[in-house]
Amino acid sequence: MLKTKIEEIKKQVLEEITKVGNSDALFDLEKKYLGRKSEFVGFLKNLKNLAPEERKQIGELANKTKLEILDIINGKKADLSKTGSNAEKEKIDVTISGKKRGVGHLNPISIVRRDIEDIFTGMGFEIADGPEIETEFYNFDALNMPADHPARDIQDTFWLKNKKGKESLAMRSQTSAVQAKYMEKHKPPLRIIVPGKCFRREATDTTHDHTFYQFEALVVGENINVGHLKQVAEDFFSQFFGQEIKVRLRPSYFPFTEPSFEFDISCTVCGGKGCRACKYNKWLELGGAGMVNQNVFEAVGYKRNQYTGFAWGFGLERLAMMKYKIDDCRLFHSGDLRFIRQF
Amino acid sequence: MRYSFGWLQELSGTKLSPEKAAELLTMHSFEIEGLEKNNNNFDGVVVGEILEITKHPNADKLQIAIVETHCNASVQKLQIVCGAPNIAVGQKVPVALVGTTLPGDFTIKEAEIRGVKSFGMLCAEDELGLGKDHAGILILDKKAKVGELAAKYLGGTDDSVLEIKVLPDRAHDILSHVGVARELAVLEKRKFSAQGGSASGGAYAFDELILPTKKNQKLKVEIKDKDLCRRYIGAVMENIVIKESPQWLKDRLEICGLRPINNVVDATNYVMLELGQPLHAFDRDLIQDANKKCQIVVRGAVKDEKMTLLDGTEIELSENNLLITNGKTPLALAGIMGGKESGINENTKTIVLEAASFDAVNIRRTRTALGLNTDSSYRFEKDLDPNLTEKAMVRIIDILEHIADGNVEGIVDIYPKKISSWTVKLDLEYANQLLGEKVPEKEILNILSLLGIKVQKKKLLECQIPTYRLDLRTQEDLIEDIGRVWGYEKIAPRPMVAEVLPAKLNEQVFFERKMQDVLTGLGFDEMYNYSFYSADDLRKTGLSASDHLQLANPMNPDQEFVRAYMVPNILKNVRENLKNFSCISIFEIGKCYLLKNSEPIEECNLILAKVLEKDSNLETFYGLKGTMEDLLEALNIKNVQFLEIEKPGTILNPGRTAKISVGGKVVGFIGEVNQAVLASYKISKRLAVAEINLEVLRLLRQGSGGPKKNILEYKPINKFPVVSRDISMIVPKEIKYAEIVALAKKNGGELIDNILLFDRFEAKNSMAIRIEMSAKDRTLEGAEIDAAMEKIVSSLKDDLRVEVRK
Repeated sequence: MLKTKIEEIKKQVLEEITKVGNSDALFDLEKKYLGRKSEFVGFLKNLKNLAPEERKQIGELANKTKLEILDIINGKKADLSKTGSNAEKEKIDVTISGKKRGVGHLNPISIVRRDIEDIFTGMGFEIADGPEIETEFYNFDALNMPADHPARDIQDTFWLKNKKGKESLAMRSQTSAVQAKYMEKHKPPLRIIVPGKCFRREATDTTHDHTFYQFEALVVGENINVGHLKQVAEDFFSQFFGQEIKVRLRPSYFPFTEPSFEFDISCTVCGGKGCRACKYNKWLELGGAGMVNQNVFEAVGYKRNQYTGFAWGFGLERLAMMKYKIDDCRLFHSGDLRFIRQF
Repeated sequence: MRYSFGWLQELSGTKLSPEKAAELLTMHSFEIEGLEKNNNNFDGVVVGEILEITKHPNADKLQIAIVETHCNASVQKLQIVCGAPNIAVGQKVPVALVGTTLPGDFTIKEAEIRGVKSFGMLCAEDELGLGKDHAGILILDKKAKVGELAAKYLGGTDDSVLEIKVLPDRAHDILSHVGVARELAVLEKRKFSAQGGSASGGAYAFDELILPTKKNQKLKVEIKDKDLCRRYIGAVMENIVIKESPQWLKDRLEICGLRPINNVVDATNYVMLELGQPLHAFDRDLIQDANKKCQIVVRGAVKDEKMTLLDGTEIELSENNLLITNGKTPLALAGIMGGKESGINENTKTIVLEAASFDAVNIRRTRTALGLNTDSSYRFEKDLDPNLTEKAMVRIIDILEHIADGNVEGIVDIYPKKISSWTVKLDLEYANQLLGEKVPEKEILNILSLLGIKVQKKKLLECQIPTYRLDLRTQEDLIEDIGRVWGYEKIAPRPMVAEVLPAKLNEQVFFERKMQDVLTGLGFDEMYNYSFYSADDLRKTGLSASDHLQLANPMNPDQEFVRAYMVPNILKNVRENLKNFSCISIFEIGKCYLLKNSEPIEECNLILAKVLEKDSNLETFYGLKGTMEDLLEALNIKNVQFLEIEKPGTILNPGRTAKISVGGKVVGFIGEVNQAVLASYKISKRLAVAEINLEVLRLLRQGSGGPKKNILEYKPINKFPVVSRDISMIVPKEIKYAEIVALAKKNGGELIDNILLFDRFEAKNSMAIRIEMSAKDRTLEGAEIDAAMEKIVSSLKDDLRVEVRK
């Protein structure tokens, strides 16, 4: 009997709601059927007087019906607001573009630099930096490149007419200059990265600019070895490119490291199968690396053979170019907003 | 440097293909930058015999040849139309079969030439990429076998070329074919014994090139400067016949990029390419004195001495330059270039050969100072083993005996301080520790032995280094060689074991980042500029050259000065971008260098620049000022003031420039660029710029924990209502808004929360300000507010002569 009563109520609601024309009437209807003093709520209150079996059955039905009624009422509310008297006047073309204040854009070098800094900070590396104008001593001598060293040829350097005291000054040709300065002030174990602007006097083309951004990593401790270099590099590049990257070392020469390596990573496009991006070479050449030369440690005041360490350096532009498929590195310094505003 | 692969094969005995050898060297020794395979071009070019020649019916200059050759393993007679006049029946010629691709990507097809079918092509020299001769078809040796690849009969041209990127520390041994051949043998784990080919004189082993003693009274050698010349071997050869070099020698020089000249000069170059030792040959008759006495004196040049080099240039020498002389006049600039007067010519009969060792640094300095760069100086300046001179001398004598009919008359060897091998102690445990992988001891010993290093096993390995490996000086040098020969690919990545420590934060880096974030949020795009500008920029902006550091060797005059200010490059950014955009908001963070008391002072600066779409008068300046205020607020920088500058410099508009001060300390400036500067950069819109010193600013930042430790602190929110009152006034022209605010605050006292300008009519000097007042412990009463307002208004009237409107 209760069951038919409940269904009866639902039917009444459905009937009456068709006559409701405004929100006030709807509010009254809601109060009548679902309000605290409504007949419906009265049933629910009296459920406890029923036999357990029946209580369960009726209870479920009552609750279900209550929710159905609520849905009907809410549906009507939505209809009313749509057909409300103001709706026509309020209607606008929402596809017209919004009032933008205009947001600025970072140079892609900054974006890549941040990515790198974040990954290395996460690995416990400190970010170090030094001046962009260096004395001859820090740019060369402290890095095991004394005057007349043939390796000075590799790095065609911008020299300054001005001197600091008696010392010649140069626009730093690599961030490695910071290595020596940092080690003079800190004792191992140490882990640093040095991102920064460098300068070399070489002709510019789509892959070379005389001003470029290098990113250097240096780890020094008591038992640092080539395996550690490989692992840290693989971890970094895998995270940077968001895919598994392998690192390959080939023999090379740098005065400040011994052994020295050329540093390749597995192609980020084909993963090492061979494709146009890597010229079917499976590897991409990225930069130089090596185990810190003991002469460099001696130059900063560490005892020979007390520590070992690894260092590497490569161009940020190269990473940005790979990441965004940029084909001319001179764009980074072009100042052209048509370029910058894409990032 | 370019290397002949055939030559390397001959010396090292390798059976590897050029590709395999290149790969092996790249992975274990040094980079191969290029591999040219010449014989590739000749697949499909075979020997053919001309059986018959008839005139072309429709063309005067063409002939029809019937050529017998082998094609697809069967004898064939091909009809080929040919334009060259030099063919005759019975000749053997190179035939490019149909389907063959010749140099220049030219593929032979069946063709019909003026109505006659042609099945292939007879080749001229240039068509095979062998030279430039197009006068006639290449005629092959009569003995050439029909059907064989023509390459077999085309001299040394089946050779491949390896181009090697020689590393500076290996130049002394790798700038030679023997050095690379030795390297290849090591990598193939074969014992090296260089085999000189029969073509180039007798077979020889590198170690057995020992100088015979043959005293000679006709030549005397004296070294005056024994530091700069460590050894000098002179040899006299008589009965020399100067002529063209044999083909094999010319081929090898050409493949390495050298031009053949005559047999004696070519032989010196050949030995240099083979062993790495530069040699020189003098005409004895041109260097001996009137008494037919011949002597070589190696000495430093004297002041103002001059000489004419082989290439005809006259040079002025200094005391730092080393000369080869005959006791009086210079014969050669030691190790760099011979003199014009003493060189080999077609009438030379007797020669003096020189194989010497010079100080690398001195050669480098001399050639840099004189702007010279020769194959000889290139090798000497990277240091050479003095013991190599002996081997080179033995070698060139042998070759000249074969190709110039000469015979040795005597040899003089001056070697004051003999260089012998040295010992490097190697700790095996350290080697494994540095590489991070345990290389089996047997492997290490084998690698060392292959490298020519004799090892004595004591507590450490005592390694005796052969003098041709000048670079092996420390145990790390040895570990590198062990590692690379063994294979770096065998070293597994290994996790680092280190204490877990938070990275120390670089405050400057993160301050700059915050700045970038706020500025991009405010709509500013980031520029990266070069750190240089030109004298022209200084002129246009009126900046002084004496504040600037200057490059000694700029790329071009546009980049002669190191930037001391960010403005000039930003002006160029604005000019260029105005070609594409009508409004611009840009910033750059970077380092500048000021020259103060002739010392460089580094500053890290931020520059902002703004151009609006439209500006009736004031919007550009106030727009940028607003950005600056927003930026400083976002960075929690308080106590900011914008103050008038008395001398705003040469770039900014004096009426629209302010210095920015934080807590009384000047951190930068803001202003509009003046009309003259804008005009000189061809910018036709108003442009506002602001430059700030970031390091100074960072230390003033609230919460920076800087010197004042001014940590930011929360202030309770006021529970009592805020009331506002407006004052509308006419302000005398010379009175600044900041003065009004300061005076109002002073007189309003604690009650004043905030004062803001809400209306301004510039033409009439009228301003309307709103004063917001409250108390922390009570609701303000009307009388209290009125009293405060009265005080403010009367002070404005009395002190600043402001006319307050009711």
